[in-house]
Amino acid sequence: MRIAVVLGRVLDPRGIVVNRRAGRIFINREEYILQPADRCALEAALRIKDAASAEVVALPRTFLPDDDVLCQALATGADRAIYLTGGPLGADEALMARVLVAAIAKLGGADLILTGATTMDTGQSQLGPRLAEALNWPQVLNAWAVETADGAARAVVNAGAGYVQVEVDLPAVITLLPGALKPRYPRGTQLINIYRGVGEIAQALEQWPAADLVEEAALTPVVERRGQDFPPERERGVRLTGSPEEVARAAAEALRKRLPR
Amino acid sequence: MDFTFSPEHQALRRLVREFAENEVAPLAAEIDRKHQIPFETLRKLGEIGLLGVCFPQEYGGMGAGETGYCILMEELGRVCTSTATNVGAHIGIGAMAIHLDGNPEQKRKYLTPLARGEKIAAFGLTESNAGSDAANIRTRAVREGDSWILDGGKVYITNGGFADIVTVMAVTDPALGARGGVTAFIVEASWPGFKVAREEDKMGIRGTSTAELVFEELRVPHENVLGKVGEGFVTFMKSLDMGRLTLGAACLGGAQAALEMAVYWAKTRRQFGVELAHKQSVQWAIANIATEIEALRSLVYRVAWMVDTGQTGQEFTQLAAMCKMYGSEVASRAIDLALQIYGGLGVTRDFHIERAFRDARIAEIFEGTNEIQRIVIASNIFREYGVRIRP
Repeated sequence: MRIAVVLGRVLDPRGIVVNRRAGRIFINREEYILQPADRCALEAALRIKDAASAEVVALPRTFLPDDDVLCQALATGADRAIYLTGGPLGADEALMARVLVAAIAKLGGADLILTGATTMDTGQSQLGPRLAEALNWPQVLNAWAVETADGAARAVVNAGAGYVQVEVDLPAVITLLPGALKPRYPRGTQLINIYRGVGEIAQALEQWPAADLVEEAALTPVVERRGQDFPPERERGVRLTGSPEEVARAAAEALRKRLPR
Repeated sequence: MDFTFSPEHQALRRLVREFAENEVAPLAAEIDRKHQIPFETLRKLGEIGLLGVCFPQEYGGMGAGETGYCILMEELGRVCTSTATNVGAHIGIGAMAIHLDGNPEQKRKYLTPLARGEKIAAFGLTESNAGSDAANIRTRAVREGDSWILDGGKVYITNGGFADIVTVMAVTDPALGARGGVTAFIVEASWPGFKVAREEDKMGIRGTSTAELVFEELRVPHENVLGKVGEGFVTFMKSLDMGRLTLGAACLGGAQAALEMAVYWAKTRRQFGVELAHKQSVQWAIANIATEIEALRSLVYRVAWMVDTGQTGQEFTQLAAMCKMYGSEVASRAIDLALQIYGGLGVTRDFHIERAFRDARIAEIFEGTNEIQRIVIASNIFREYGVRIRP
């Protein structure tokens, strides 16, 4: 069984300050982390690998200036990682879906594609559905957990007030929510070796030019970035005062107003 | 000259910081309050390879060098001094002595499980009458066939209450003293004659074990002599040099955390209609300590680079002493400043500053008091000018 995990990076939010009034992000410390939802997808893939024999292959969710996220994936337990080069940095999901479909074909196919349900920075959620559409595979979005058995994948997803388990035949695309699983830490020795390019793990990182996968015209971005805006500020909370009974009554009343009828 | 961290060290810092924030920080107040050793944290640190961060991969280590080890200590020191102390005693002096002077068989047998975190090390030097005057130890080792019989004891041994392996310094020739009469031994805590006599109840670093060890007719095989017979004092001093550098790194983390806390409160707390950050007295204090922290950071990582590039001569000894002395004092000043900015809240247990204040004090004492560090530094400086300082 082969699991393709699609991973991206995001600026570490602890190193930035968002100034809504100025419409700018101030970068105090330019450090990147794995997209949290993608990291959950990697964890889900590694848990399937732990439970049953599977090959986990890491791929980037967009063209990146370096192979950092793939090194992290290898150090964490992925068996192979493919660094895609030669495309526009930060390419949109439509373009990347084409490239990733070609990359997965070159791999010899996959039984399951796992990726994050959403990105932390721009809130993009299209990659999973676009891959499923391009491959004509079933998809499960916003999963909390995934397991595989007997040629099918079972995922836990939200359904209104509760959770349900859904099952799809493989091959399939499943997207994981951020915070769905507690990700494991990379192995220290593997981390050092992959960045130094020594040992067996260094052989597991391959570099594939995008031009070998798709025609040059397919590498033209569909989306043009013209600027950035920020979501509206969250409303400030209200501090309730009074006796416990009064506070409870006021809180219940406030909740009643907000809950959908 | 390039002051940037390598990609592997940047990745290592990300890993360690995440581990420290997720696994270590949430327990810091609790292990202090309950006077508990964070065994589970130590197990997890070993599982991902961090308890062997600087040791060679052939002996179960990560191979990240002294720079990697300083990164680990800085990030642990930033969130929990107790955990940093446990790790420092294990890697920085206990296992370090075996790494520095152990033979290949000793490294295979002892360093490998220590680097993997399967066993924990301690460093047995201090005695009740031999603290700063380390050469004055009384623990005696007498040769008997293929073994040595150790009698005596050690005090204030970090990790002593639960360590599996203790590197112990003992007198093998009283006539020669420290110059040829002291030998280092690798001792297993499970051997008959090894006893943990007492656990200290301390003001700070309460998540650590500080124990008194007693050796009664403790039989140590000759193959467990670390380095050469009579050269134990050199082995221990070399280990302490390494420990002093990384203690400086842990202090750097503690100082950085204090600065972050001070800045946070200065921008949060309003007095006289404005945040404290707008008061010049606060700004200048923050500017002063931030400058000291940057100076300490430069010193620590420069000395780590020296170790990683094999420059461990006399200059290293002097600079390692500076790391320890300056680091511990910068950390104390930074924490004191943060406490002052927090005001009355700083001494309550609702914030971490009170614990940091108690934890920081020992760094000016253990691994050689700061007075001893000043002697080391001054001795080296005067030696350059042909003056030999009398002890």
